[in-house]
Amino acid sequence: MDLREILQTGVGGLSIGAVYALVALGFSIVYRTIGLVNFGHGDVLMVGAFLMVTFFVNSHLAFPLALVIAVALTATMGFGFERVLRPLERKDLDLMLIGTIGFGIALEGAAVLIWGSEGQAMPTPINDTPINLAGVTVRSYDVLVLVLAAAVVVGLYLFLERAKAGTAMQAAAMDHEAATAMGIDVARCNGRAFAIGAGIAAVAGALVGPRLYVSAGMGAAVGVKGFAAAILGGFGNIPGAIVGGLALGLIEAYASGSRGSYSDVITFVVFTAVIMLRPSGLLGERTVSRP
Amino acid sequence: MSEKRVYRWTATAVVLLVVSSLVAACGRESGGGGASSSEGKKTLRVALIGPQSGQLASLGDWDYKGVTLAANEINDKGGAGGLKIEITRMDDQGDPTTGGNLARKAVSQKFDVVFGSSSSTISLAMLPILTGAKIPQVTSGQADALTQQKSQYIFLDSPTSTTYDATLAEYVVGKLGKKKIAMITNNGAYGAGEHDAFLAQLKKRGVKPVADKVIPPDQKEMSGPLSQIRTAKPDALFIGAEEVQSGLIAKQARSLGIDATIVEGAPAGTPQYRETAGDEAAEGTIVSSPYLSNDLNEQTRAFAAAYKEAYGETAELHGAKAYDGLQLVAKAVASLDGKVSGEAIAQAMHDISYDGLLGHFDYNDVGVGLSQTHIGVIKNGEVEAVEDAG
Amino acid sequence: MTLLRRLAGAGAVVVLLAVPYGVTYYGIHIANLVLIFIMLAVGLSLVLGYAGQVNLAQAAFFGMGAYASAVLTVKVGLGYWAAFPLSVIAAGLLGVLVGLPSLRVQSHYLGIVTLGLAVAFSAILVNASFTGQAVGLPGLPVPPLGPVDLSDEYNYYYLLLAAAGLLFALARLMVTTELGRRFQAMRDDALAAAHMGVEVPAYRMVAFVIAACYAGVAGALYAGLIRYVSPDTFSLAIMFLLLAMVIVGGRDNIYGAALGATVLLIVREQFVDLQKYQQVAYGLLIVGMVVAAPEGLAGLVGRVWIRVKRAIPGARVTPAEAERALGEAEVSGLGVDDGIAARAPLALVQDERQPDGVPALEVDGVSKRFKGLTALDDVTLSVAAGAIHGIVGPNGSGKTTLFNIATGVYGPTSGEVRAYGDRVSGRAAYRICDRGVARTFQALRLFRSLTVRENVMVALDRARPTSLWRYVLAPWTFRRRERALKARADELLERFRLSRVADFRATNLPYGQQRLVEIARAMATGPRVLLLDEPAAGLSSAEMNDLRELVTRIRDSGITVVLIEHNMGLVMTLCDRVTVFASGRVLAEGTPEHVTRDPEVIETYLGDADLLATGDGRP
Repeated sequence: MDLREILQTGVGGLSIGAVYALVALGFSIVYRTIGLVNFGHGDVLMVGAFLMVTFFVNSHLAFPLALVIAVALTATMGFGFERVLRPLERKDLDLMLIGTIGFGIALEGAAVLIWGSEGQAMPTPINDTPINLAGVTVRSYDVLVLVLAAAVVVGLYLFLERAKAGTAMQAAAMDHEAATAMGIDVARCNGRAFAIGAGIAAVAGALVGPRLYVSAGMGAAVGVKGFAAAILGGFGNIPGAIVGGLALGLIEAYASGSRGSYSDVITFVVFTAVIMLRPSGLLGERTVSRP
Repeated sequence: MSEKRVYRWTATAVVLLVVSSLVAACGRESGGGGASSSEGKKTLRVALIGPQSGQLASLGDWDYKGVTLAANEINDKGGAGGLKIEITRMDDQGDPTTGGNLARKAVSQKFDVVFGSSSSTISLAMLPILTGAKIPQVTSGQADALTQQKSQYIFLDSPTSTTYDATLAEYVVGKLGKKKIAMITNNGAYGAGEHDAFLAQLKKRGVKPVADKVIPPDQKEMSGPLSQIRTAKPDALFIGAEEVQSGLIAKQARSLGIDATIVEGAPAGTPQYRETAGDEAAEGTIVSSPYLSNDLNEQTRAFAAAYKEAYGETAELHGAKAYDGLQLVAKAVASLDGKVSGEAIAQAMHDISYDGLLGHFDYNDVGVGLSQTHIGVIKNGEVEAVEDAG
Repeated sequence: MTLLRRLAGAGAVVVLLAVPYGVTYYGIHIANLVLIFIMLAVGLSLVLGYAGQVNLAQAAFFGMGAYASAVLTVKVGLGYWAAFPLSVIAAGLLGVLVGLPSLRVQSHYLGIVTLGLAVAFSAILVNASFTGQAVGLPGLPVPPLGPVDLSDEYNYYYLLLAAAGLLFALARLMVTTELGRRFQAMRDDALAAAHMGVEVPAYRMVAFVIAACYAGVAGALYAGLIRYVSPDTFSLAIMFLLLAMVIVGGRDNIYGAALGATVLLIVREQFVDLQKYQQVAYGLLIVGMVVAAPEGLAGLVGRVWIRVKRAIPGARVTPAEAERALGEAEVSGLGVDDGIAARAPLALVQDERQPDGVPALEVDGVSKRFKGLTALDDVTLSVAAGAIHGIVGPNGSGKTTLFNIATGVYGPTSGEVRAYGDRVSGRAAYRICDRGVARTFQALRLFRSLTVRENVMVALDRARPTSLWRYVLAPWTFRRRERALKARADELLERFRLSRVADFRATNLPYGQQRLVEIARAMATGPRVLLLDEPAAGLSSAEMNDLRELVTRIRDSGITVVLIEHNMGLVMTLCDRVTVFASGRVLAEGTPEHVTRDPEVIETYLGDADLLATGDGRP
């Protein structure tokens, strides 16, 4: 590949990487605060994307308004989902695994019932004009996605560190009992945490819809890569989710550029190698306390 | 509910479910309805086996809509040779093993005809079972492997990849004179078939592609291979992928500044491609398809209107294929004059010919009924037919 | 086995043999698939349920077995049966490859890594030229079997029944003997297992290879049955189905795995008719099962059975059975009778060789730094053979860190620890076990899925991983081995007066008894040096007296004891010598009397001089 191709591929990698980063963020935040590894997360993203389609495409609402509604609805659902999945929190991984997978399957089935099995295309909210930077093309929508993703990350970080509800959430994660002793309603914190994770998934789904095509099956594909990205960066680690997502996107893009059909092989072998060298991920894991 | 009660309720529910499933499983085995003798036979039992879940669900959906529309129309006119068509839908979940199971189920339950599946690999899995039981199988798949099984019981309701790509190559290389052709295909069954067929056609015309990129079917970000294609400065870009991925490729290619003419087989003729690619990127795409649009002639217009009325959606290739498939079966059965059996139906399908939405059907020994496609070009969001490339 | 059990068993066998006569063409096909999935699920249960390794590549191993069989017969031209063992070996090799990460990561990390490698394997299948790529390989040959026509599914059923039966019997042998115990120990607490001599890395790999081989057999047989392999068949969806089978069935239970496989496969087939709602219903069913009944169907069946048995007049339900099935520990009131003071010597093996003058435990200039925190700073101490040596000091002064270095939890930053002249620091825990150093832990680390007896058997068992060949080549030898091991365990438990609770799950006992079990288990490894980490924590004063007696008896049987303790009263009356730690350094060393009078010690650790007057010194 010549330089132009390398740079162009890199740009593409970062753009899909931002998607993975947002998905990874959702995984990590839920794990870090309530100790739940939610394998149905990709399907929550799918629900958010479909809601976006309903409000932005079918009802022709303005993009920001539709986004807010979709996120709010998904977050509210998330609060309810947490109630259902509560018995799985902090339990053994394989129980969590299969429980949340079953949950994801049910979501996918429900999506087909509501929106049909065909799926729908979503247009970009802004004109996706390519910006030409020294021979390398950057799509303007991708820039918007990166900006919004960054805003989500900053917002989340501020919430966790500065807002009372956020620090309460962190406290509940670190020590269940002590937090309760302090008067923190742990159950509500957990519900909020899941709602936030769901909200982030909805943002990811909404942003990613125009790029991926919205269908009931979109969650599964993005979910596996997003989860890998979260682990790669360090599970539960917020900056780690971003780093992991972007890194995975880049690895995938370059693998695709060099040995196209084997891109999945290369991506996952590289991933395995990195994890074996640094088992806690690139930036280290932030776990929750376990009984 | 306290945890213990939830626990007990679930346990009871599970036990009931298991017991009822086992009972149902045993009960279902006895014959499963439908007289097997030709005497007193009132219905033509058709099993529609296709994906209702998973990635291929939309294909299964289109098949269902096309087949059901045809069945209703035929039944309204008195049925196929006097027999009422009864469609039983089964979900193969996009899994060849399940497809195989369902084929065996269809055999056990003595269906007359099987429609399935939308995917070539699942159709291949079912083929030996249905052929072994002498049940005619109409498939929406188009992989060449299906025709290589030398079965008298397999019937493709569309042309093979070779046909699609021969017509396409003839037009693109022959008529348009494109010499620098880049290829991007996926390595799924359809994409791989397209890759090999188109490459063979290019070879026949002495053309070597300037780029030949293969990607996995679920890849969404194609900057890597596309930027290399951009460097090769092609004047035509051949895509071999399903509807959605094709649209994504077209969109991304255009935004990278690749202005080569996009050429493709059937998927580019569908509304899904146009929606995913966006009108700008889809504009000018050259399509090789036997069913270019709903507006081709009186027959297609009537079909599209009926489809819209029944389902509220715009008809396209896949629904039309399935519709033609069932019409063919009905015509074959009607020609039998009462002595209906799997063997007889299959023989009849080889004997008759039929002018369907996709063209003139005339089945050869290996299950291919259509040997022609047409060339169209996308203009202003619609596919317009172009003079045939001979 | 009781008559009832024998009859039930015979009845089951008759039913299984008669299945082909009662079902249709479709039904027998489902029965065949059930048998194949039983093999897959049992294999997965062994690695995931018993050994606790998150293996999400089982479908890939399945695919490897099937594809190897297909490629070897169609492309290379081997006969089906010649290709069969090679296919299983191929799957096993893939198992080794995929299992390697388990040496570095566990839990959800291992899950995503194995999942990723499975996806990579699938991608290779789709791309390689000899695998038929996306379409796969149709038209595979029918396995020849003399006059029997195996293209007939009714006949194939018996082949599958035999294979599944053999694999199930083998699995049953494994889980009821040393391998099963080691797997479960490893899963419950890998650290403690290593300390009991279980070579954890080797056994993790073994678990993967076994699961892969089971899947390989299933795959090769699948290829012979369906005679068409394509990449779509071995997808993520199948992996999750297998996972659901194992978990819904009851994950650390091979009967559960078989039950789960049967139920889910049949339910899935029935759901096919429900069309639109099937997916939602299926998903909710899975969630419901996991949330409401985490021990799975097998657990449910077990509970129901015990309740039924109780209701039958005349049937006896032992407390141990009740405890295992219902989790009710009917052990209250079962104190350790006669106290722990047993008459017989406690060590099972009298250690004859006592190298003169060589200290039992020698810490030589050991330092340990953790990322900027210095836990130990140039610590030197020496424990004479046959002594009871106490180590005291404030929390965080490095006492447990020292123990951890001595038993192989981690290595020192500098310095060395030796046991009878033999270096132990820097070695793996399971090797140190061989060198005669054993320990108990500050927080109890018993194997919670194992009974008291089984906990001890794990520690007693000295077999190496290399002896695993016996499972396949000489399975009959296990009867004798198990009997011998059980006898030795019972003898040890008798000495510790734990015989009455031998069949109870170790973690269901009262706290004091659990402590005792942990000490008994450590003693079972036949150590020359025993390290006890805060053994008195949480004990009542009566239990503490027993502990004192016990430790003295242990020393009297020739074992050197080193204990970390906060309870100064115990230390004063029990220990010959005491070392005082503070902030990672040795503050003072000497006899208990000498050390408690040291002003620096008093200031740092003991606090009030008044406490000293009473000689009690309980913090």
